[in-house]
Amino acid sequence: MISFFLAKKYLLASRRDAQVGVVALAAFLGLTLGVAALVVSLALLSGFQTNIKSRLLAETPHLLVTPAGRGEFHDVDRIAGKLAAVPGVASVSPVAKGRVWVSLGSQAMPAIVVGREKQKGLVLDVAQARPIGLVAGETVTLVSSRSRLSPLGPVPIVATMKIAGVVPSATGRKAAEASMPLEEARRLFALGPDGATGYELRLTDPGRPDKAAAAVSAALGPSVAVATWEEQNRALVLALRIERTVLFAAVFLIVIVAGLNLAATSAVLAATRAGDAAVLSVLGASPRAVGRVFLAAGAGVGAAGTLGGLALGVGVAVLLERAGLVPLPAQLYGMAHAPFRVEALDVLAVGVLSILWSVLAASIPARTAARLSPVEALRGA
Amino acid sequence: MVPDGAPLLAAAGLAKGFGSGAGRVDVFRNVSLEVRAGDLLAITGPSGCGKSTLLHLFAGLDTPDAGAVRVDGTDWSSLSPEARAALRGTTIGFVFQFHHLLPELTAEENVALPLFLAGRSEADGRKEAREVLDRVGLSARASALPRTLSGGERQRVAIARAVVRRPRILLCDEPTGSLDAAHAAAVFDLLTTVAKERAGAAIVVTHDPEWARRCASIKSLGGEGLSDGA
Repeated sequence: MISFFLAKKYLLASRRDAQVGVVALAAFLGLTLGVAALVVSLALLSGFQTNIKSRLLAETPHLLVTPAGRGEFHDVDRIAGKLAAVPGVASVSPVAKGRVWVSLGSQAMPAIVVGREKQKGLVLDVAQARPIGLVAGETVTLVSSRSRLSPLGPVPIVATMKIAGVVPSATGRKAAEASMPLEEARRLFALGPDGATGYELRLTDPGRPDKAAAAVSAALGPSVAVATWEEQNRALVLALRIERTVLFAAVFLIVIVAGLNLAATSAVLAATRAGDAAVLSVLGASPRAVGRVFLAAGAGVGAAGTLGGLALGVGVAVLLERAGLVPLPAQLYGMAHAPFRVEALDVLAVGVLSILWSVLAASIPARTAARLSPVEALRGA
Repeated sequence: MVPDGAPLLAAAGLAKGFGSGAGRVDVFRNVSLEVRAGDLLAITGPSGCGKSTLLHLFAGLDTPDAGAVRVDGTDWSSLSPEARAALRGTTIGFVFQFHHLLPELTAEENVALPLFLAGRSEADGRKEAREVLDRVGLSARASALPRTLSGGERQRVAIARAVVRRPRILLCDEPTGSLDAAHAAAVFDLLTTVAKERAGAAIVVTHDPEWARRCASIKSLGGEGLSDGA
């Protein structure tokens, strides 16, 4: 195409043309650095977010199924079997959840406790243990919010347990939860030997929990409520999304500013080549075709800068990840160095947006060049 | 395409001036002209009489204050800018006083430029450009950039570019004005020969009666319009 043919000639010639060369080089370098900064920033964010999400997926059931409009499930409901038959469900575990008072000596505090099948002993969240100074090895009394009938009337259900451990707070969870063996929790919450307040599901593809949630709802009907791991950690998931959008917008400002240099490149080229534009008009080039020459020149610099920036950004991110060049305090972050994860979709989005912006920026002076009177330009040439 | 014998270019009652109010200057007030296939017409007149402006009107690059120009039967004023460009590309060849070659393009690429603009492939365009360069005696300089060519060579490349699409009308604006006498004669002879071979008709604007006399007919441009003779 003639516009690309001429644009290429002009840009190659700009190495000898100080006026065009300087602005074209500034636009190219600006865009390269801006795009590279965006790719590296997004890779860092993706690295952290992937880490956080993997922790969420490990600590949170992929789907939590609870009874709708009543307190508990029993074997007679055959919920577990139905859940296990839903496509995409890898495992189903009953849980018994409730509120207790944890007391030691004269001190007591409320806590949420969840009973799970494979849980050994009582494990407290550090946020639960710290207020009254509980440590592993101590024996505490748990007073349930449920009661049982005795000859003297209803009395609270009480259990005495040794603290098996105190663990750091779970990622993204709003309220701290203690864990204990399922059988003990069933007794504490008067659920009977086969009762459960819900079922925790692990999925074969936790990346698409909505699809599995819909399948569960379709299989079990309105008698159950289903919450995905994203819904259970709604605040954190939303914060991660907002963080990504804000970072993208903020760093993309660099690309926007660099793109304005492309407008300058296109404008300087159009001004210095007004005579050529007039000759093209005389030879039969339409105003649009004349404009396309300068658009192609600006967009060409934009595309080159974008591709250079993508290559530089990906290269730097991969190097930082492989060499672990950004150390972090492991106790604080749970990792020795900052994680960089290059997502293909991010690279594609940055590339497409940067090139689109380049075309838009270059189109303004190109349109002006297309409107130039060839007669005026010939007189000045 | 016009019928046989019909004018390739017909100008009627053309008027053009610049400025407005008390500062307005009328360049010419009533130019009428018909150019038919095979015509080789010289338009003479002193510098500043509006010869170049008249050629710009003929080429549809400028619009007259009054009157109309029809090229190959089509009135420029009836066309959109895009259609004008298309018609100009197919019907008009233009040779400037100063070659106006694109400096980054080789002689061959400059000559092929109108063909590229017409959508011809690069290989096709280059092949035809080489043929025309050969016709103007510059096949050996096909890959030379304009800055490495002499003034006469540049003008010959410009002539080759103007006729490469075999235009219906070749418009030449002082084509030898930037050359010394020896080169000017050779270029003028080449221009008239090539015009006969590859263009339907030619109009040569010149302020020099010597060059005008080499054309088949001569018209002189004055404030009122065109008159016969130098």
